[in-house]
Amino acid sequence: MHDSLMQLMFGFGIALQPENLMWCVFGVLVGNLIGVLPGMGPLSTISMLLPIVAVISPVPGILMLAGIFYGSQYGGAIGAILLNLPSHPPHAVTCLDGYPLTLQGKGGTALGITMIASFFAASVGIVVMIFLSPLLVRAADSFGPADICAIMLLGLLAGATMARGSPLKGVAMTVFGLLCGVAGTDEISGTARYTLGLSELRDGVELGGLTMGLFGIADFLVSVNRTTVNPADARVAMRDMRPSWAEIRQSFWPMLRGTGVGTAFGALPGTGPTITTFLAYALERRISRTPQRFGKGALEGVAAPEAASHSKTQVDFIPTMSLGIPGDAVMALILGALIMKGLQPGPQMVTDHPDIFWSLIASFWIGNVLLVILNVPLIGVWVRMLRVPYRFLYPAALFFIAVGVYSTRNNLFDVAITAVFGVIGAILLALEFPLSPIVLGFVLGPQLEPSFRRAMLLSRGDLSVFLTRPVAAGFVAASALLVLLQLAAWWRRRGAFVTASAR
Amino acid sequence: MNKWTKDHLGGALLLVTGVAVVVAGVGYGMGTLRQMGSGFFPVVLGALLALIGVALLFSAGRERGDRAGEPPAEMAHLAGPVVQWRGWLCIVGAALAFVVLGQHGGLVPASFAAVFIAAMGDRGNSVRAAATLAAILTALGVLVFHYGLHLLLPLFSW
Repeated sequence: MHDSLMQLMFGFGIALQPENLMWCVFGVLVGNLIGVLPGMGPLSTISMLLPIVAVISPVPGILMLAGIFYGSQYGGAIGAILLNLPSHPPHAVTCLDGYPLTLQGKGGTALGITMIASFFAASVGIVVMIFLSPLLVRAADSFGPADICAIMLLGLLAGATMARGSPLKGVAMTVFGLLCGVAGTDEISGTARYTLGLSELRDGVELGGLTMGLFGIADFLVSVNRTTVNPADARVAMRDMRPSWAEIRQSFWPMLRGTGVGTAFGALPGTGPTITTFLAYALERRISRTPQRFGKGALEGVAAPEAASHSKTQVDFIPTMSLGIPGDAVMALILGALIMKGLQPGPQMVTDHPDIFWSLIASFWIGNVLLVILNVPLIGVWVRMLRVPYRFLYPAALFFIAVGVYSTRNNLFDVAITAVFGVIGAILLALEFPLSPIVLGFVLGPQLEPSFRRAMLLSRGDLSVFLTRPVAAGFVAASALLVLLQLAAWWRRRGAFVTASAR
Repeated sequence: MNKWTKDHLGGALLLVTGVAVVVAGVGYGMGTLRQMGSGFFPVVLGALLALIGVALLFSAGRERGDRAGEPPAEMAHLAGPVVQWRGWLCIVGAALAFVVLGQHGGLVPASFAAVFIAAMGDRGNSVRAAATLAAILTALGVLVFHYGLHLLLPLFSW
């Protein structure tokens, strides 16, 4: 534990170097700037800025990534509170009470409380991460390929079923993502697979192209001529952001409880950030003495879910960083960006690149501090950004996407691939398939296949290795339980439908 | 309820994709469980995709979940007809124009064309508004990407 603190101080030393700090500030700024735009959630913001991350050296690149991540998350909250527009699903709950507050002219207070709540929750999450990560890394040292496979299986299943709507469709999209990851040259035998005869596809599909197609172009295709955003009276001045003492007291316990919910569920696979925020909101309404205020502008209804979402996200970083297995699509994207920078998150990263691991943790905290410092004076700018009409917004975004995808590999073919994934994404959205499991599958696919093949090679083709190794067996059992729970839920719903239609 | 629901289409799409993946995958060599060939993993995934497709086809129209019929939260701000041919053609066309003109024209024509075509997809934009937006963004793009970030794409090339 003492060791962790020493390492953390070392991390702060690196993260606070002027050059690194500058990139972190820049990341928070552009992340917030793009994240605040309607329809731009953390997924599209991070994928749009991946090319910049790609050109700078690893340490500042990763610090910038952390900055972008926090900036875009907070930017999303601004849109949710001021415009009733959740560009990231976890913020859907924030809209319930955040928007009524805006209508009452208290949008600034809601934003201020959100900022305090997310800062507090993220700080708690970071502390949990500092103490839990080394433990997990020590445990991970004894993991074999079969164990890693089983953990990935659980991660993929959890990612697939935590999406809204049909779990079956979620699993289908995970499989589709895994298949997208397979396209290209097989690293074991050198065979070119699913390249459709195109030599450009031998290197595989570019991560930025896939995500910007699915979360950028597909979104434009779905929203063009159909967006009805009305940025009515979203005026917020700097002084509105400071909540009164009574308001802080009112949201203090909800904030604490929200953080607790987020941290507790953070470690539990299968509970996405969206579910976590709903739970935190439901808890507040349940224990409130005045539940009728909820949905009409209760500050508690903003503080608790925002705190839950931020602590959950922070705790989600633990498996992403120490095992290399992301919990949701945003984590998968960050993992993909790290891999792009030549870093393979996992137990080896923590031991081989302690500078990066610990400066990343330090930068999480710095990113959160910067967010608070920058947002207070800049809130007026963000509010003006919200007013950019969609008809100017999407052509500009499309242009930045095109240049961004091109610049990652200096390859125009990747821009065409982005357009293709845009069309695929729009079709899938129209058929009500969730898109984020695709990213999870795509990032994990190239890791799952080799470790599965290695596991089978080691066990001489004996599948029972997944049941005889304790760690693997545990995760396989958890995966089976997840599937059984989904089946049970499906059976109940089906039964309810049968009785309903029999009447 | 429609005879053909979204789930029927989705299931059929998954089934066709899965079968295609399996057919192509078998050609890459299956190998044995101990020494897997390049085709093993994708064939398993393709088969799984096809199976899910079949399951979706069978459950389509029967199961009504508690959340069914409700648009997802992030699409709640959308209104109006779903079919937007003009918008669709312009958006996909803009991306393709960037590819073609980037190859045979350079950054300036590619940027201008991409923004202009994309902007024309929105009924609220006049030709003049689209051209102005395209000119501004092209200038910005040249400054930031060419002079600032040293993008490899030349300004003009033909």
